[in-house]
Amino acid sequence: MPTLTLALWGLATLLTLVILFRGVIFNQIWQFPFFFLYLFVNLLQAAITFFLYRSYGFTSSFTFPLAWTTQGIVVIARALAAVEVCFLILGHYKGVWALASRILGFSGVLVLALALYFGKNGYAHGIITLEVGLEAAIATGIAGLFVFARYYQILVAPATGQLGLGLGILSCFKILNDLFLQKFARAIGFNWNHASFCTFVAVLLVWMWALRKPIAMRIPNPIMKSAAAYSNLMPQVNQRLAELNDQLAHVWHLESPKS
Amino acid sequence: MSIGFFIVAAFSALGLGGLLLWALRGSSQRKSHEHGLKVLESAPQHLRNMRQIRQAMDAADLHFARERGGPALSKRLRSERRDVVLHYLEAIRADFEQSLHIARIIAVLSPEVSGSHEYERLRLSVVFRWRFQKAKLRMHLGNAPLVEVASLGQMATCLAIQMEEAMAKLGERAALAAELALQSDR
Repeated sequence: MPTLTLALWGLATLLTLVILFRGVIFNQIWQFPFFFLYLFVNLLQAAITFFLYRSYGFTSSFTFPLAWTTQGIVVIARALAAVEVCFLILGHYKGVWALASRILGFSGVLVLALALYFGKNGYAHGIITLEVGLEAAIATGIAGLFVFARYYQILVAPATGQLGLGLGILSCFKILNDLFLQKFARAIGFNWNHASFCTFVAVLLVWMWALRKPIAMRIPNPIMKSAAAYSNLMPQVNQRLAELNDQLAHVWHLESPKS
Repeated sequence: MSIGFFIVAAFSALGLGGLLLWALRGSSQRKSHEHGLKVLESAPQHLRNMRQIRQAMDAADLHFARERGGPALSKRLRSERRDVVLHYLEAIRADFEQSLHIARIIAVLSPEVSGSHEYERLRLSVVFRWRFQKAKLRMHLGNAPLVEVASLGQMATCLAIQMEEAMAKLGERAALAAELALQSDR
């Protein structure tokens, strides 16, 4: 294995260990349990694949399926961490959360299905296509989450936002990584692997920055007593908006009075 | 893997990354909504100026100025009044945006939210913004029906008043004010 790859692998492992260690020391693991579970699973996978590649080599028929299976578990753990971030940002707002979880869940499943359908190319690359699909679903969910938060002007706690940003960027890069790996594996070889490791190290640094404070900011939000205000008001607001739009259409279409 | 899938997937990944950064950048920018509280305190901000604006938009008034002061005065008056109306249009837009902002907060605070209402509001607000820009363009070109613009202002203000009244009636004003105050502190 090239020295640079080993060095980047070592650095990523070290950073992961630091985040995990700090998480345990400062009790952050209870604030973001699935995120820390993902880091732990990722660390475990790194150890397993390191052992496999060292013992059996990169080209072994035994190593390949096992390494990709562990990769699948890591992606699922990351998906859980992404759902956790979504819940931490929108979960306090019952109504919006109910709506967003349905829309984001549906979008994620749709993207996964589309990726699997259009990316199918035999069994050998099936697992990579599955990973592309899962990563696309995670990236769509995270991007959709932030679009929702922006639309509803929901404050995103910096730590949670940066964790989400890292998860989203990582998923986007993983998609590119898998696509390039599948398409140009022979041409680019280890170089692309280096780019992938560098991105992961950068994301780990973002997460370290996000979790630098022992206790993340939490803001209590006042919630209305009932849905009456919403159900009474929104049809009226929409009705008024429709009238405003009609009026605007008049402004555009009517002739100016002669003066 | 087909080249088509490769290109679409690669651009989608880049697009999602861009969307993510854009949306998150917005989250750090939403610091101050102090105007929201003002809307709650005095919703019909521009209703008070309605009579003067109507006067400024009155075609008969301009006709009178041309007859008495000549075309030069009439032209200058028209230009100045158009600027006033453009400012007024901006004020209408600001009132409208504030009403939408409050509507969004009501949705955020509500324990139940209807997807169809939310979609409808989103669609209507996009249409409003588009038509508003067209109306503004027409105003710049100098041939907008001014009385219609005044009616538009009245309707936008009515929306704010209606929301204010409904909130007061439902006794949920406290929660809304608390959320707005919380946002302006952030």
